[in-house]
Amino acid sequence: MANDNPVGAQRTKWVDYSRCIGCESCEAICKFLYGLPRIQMTESDEGLAFPLYCHHCEHPMCAKACPVGAIEKDEATGAVYHDPARCRGCKAMKCMQACPFGAIYHAGGVVPVTKCDLCRDRARVGLGPACMEICPCEAIHFVTREELLNLKTREASTAQKLVMKQIRQMRGQK
Amino acid sequence: MRTRMNFGLFRDKPGPRNGRSVAIAGAGPSGLSAAGYLACRGYAVTVYDKMPKPGGLLYFGIPDFRLPVERTEAAAELLAANYGVAFRMRTKIVGQPGEARDEGDEFRTEELLLTDLRAAHDAVILCTGSWRSRRMGIPGEELPEVLSGLEYLFPLRGAVCGPEACVSPALGRKVVVIGGGLSAMDAAQCALRSGAERVTMLYRRTIDEAPAGPYEIGLLQDCGMIWKELAMPLRILGREHVEGVEFLQCALGEPDESGRRCPLPQDGSNQILEADMVISAVGELPTLPLAERLEVSKVRKGASPWPRMTMMEGVFVAGDALTGPSKIGWAITGGLEAARSLEQWLNHTQGGR
Repeated sequence: MANDNPVGAQRTKWVDYSRCIGCESCEAICKFLYGLPRIQMTESDEGLAFPLYCHHCEHPMCAKACPVGAIEKDEATGAVYHDPARCRGCKAMKCMQACPFGAIYHAGGVVPVTKCDLCRDRARVGLGPACMEICPCEAIHFVTREELLNLKTREASTAQKLVMKQIRQMRGQK
Repeated sequence: MRTRMNFGLFRDKPGPRNGRSVAIAGAGPSGLSAAGYLACRGYAVTVYDKMPKPGGLLYFGIPDFRLPVERTEAAAELLAANYGVAFRMRTKIVGQPGEARDEGDEFRTEELLLTDLRAAHDAVILCTGSWRSRRMGIPGEELPEVLSGLEYLFPLRGAVCGPEACVSPALGRKVVVIGGGLSAMDAAQCALRSGAERVTMLYRRTIDEAPAGPYEIGLLQDCGMIWKELAMPLRILGREHVEGVEFLQCALGEPDESGRRCPLPQDGSNQILEADMVISAVGELPTLPLAERLEVSKVRKGASPWPRMTMMEGVFVAGDALTGPSKIGWAITGGLEAARSLEQWLNHTQGGR
């Protein structure tokens, strides 16, 4: 594909926290489809409820932290995939600690963790991420990084900051 | 790129027809989720709802500064146009004619018996929600300016639904909202936005016990709402119209069955708050046709003959009708699980077509 900016053309998921009402629909559909949800709700002490989700980072810290290379960024699509076949028996769960968005989850089985793959199987038949389709508030977007720039309103940035503060607190950082 | 809400998200078109037909009572989030799933699995789906528009509380209960109402509307249209789901609006499913009245019943023009519906389909899912407002049971509650949370929020959609939707003038100057949940918050915010002079919220426990949480309540206080906690309404004052609310100051006692500390009214702490409108948003109760025969409590306890099936064979239940008022996400989970359970039951009893 001809594009000056291949990274900018990669599609990623983005949640506009200023539109999110904490209704849990995203988690519900993800859980229905995959058993263990890969977008999970959390709540601050004050009762602000919001979903934690994988940002499919340009430079994913989880991939860097994984000692066996079970997490990789697909440079073609931009998605960060977790390979359960390679992820075995790691007790350190360094990926969970490394993710700044709290978006890698304890699976508690032979494969210890799970994460969002942007509904890879659905993508194969031309369908978008399920959480985006079920969100009643139009808070979840699946867009290119270029399109994303236009979505980031002032309200969205303010809400994002509040959420990040909460995530840092949860992770025991200041 | 604009995204759309799609309850038929499992496929891009309905599944090949399997010859089975399912009726769903209630077009809220649980009903629409179940409809989307079953249409994708090849079922002929008809959704019945007593309201003039699909969406349930997404449409009629939650104000559109929280949820874009056209998104809910478009989602129902997509189910109809792309997935072949049939909608029969203004039709209430009842146990027997002339059953107890619930909120929103004034919109229905037709009633269908649940037994007839069951006979006409391979299975039924009841997603009839929680449309009976809990009453406080205090004197003065019958005054015309005392509205339930739902009664207050309905007229705000009046413009799209015709004149009968405006059941009450949704205007008060000095508004008292009673409750501490999200409907109370929505009602208070609507009152502030519609130009009320003063909006006071009375809650019998403290901000820490309030279901809406300190974050939401804080946001409303920033908008000018007055928060009065540990306040238990005693009576609504006024002869023909609301003139005020008398309440008692409470202290917190031991935790009750909800795990929250219970309010203990203090004798002689009576106070009076001037008001010309009272919105009592103290919760809603599940509304099901033939409730005594369905015995939904068995489904809640996991003691039903098949997961999510009521004591009436082939009649399933999901959403707020099962759980009482809860989050949209829970309703969606419930609708999907009931639909899947229904499918497994039909495969089991009809020999897996």
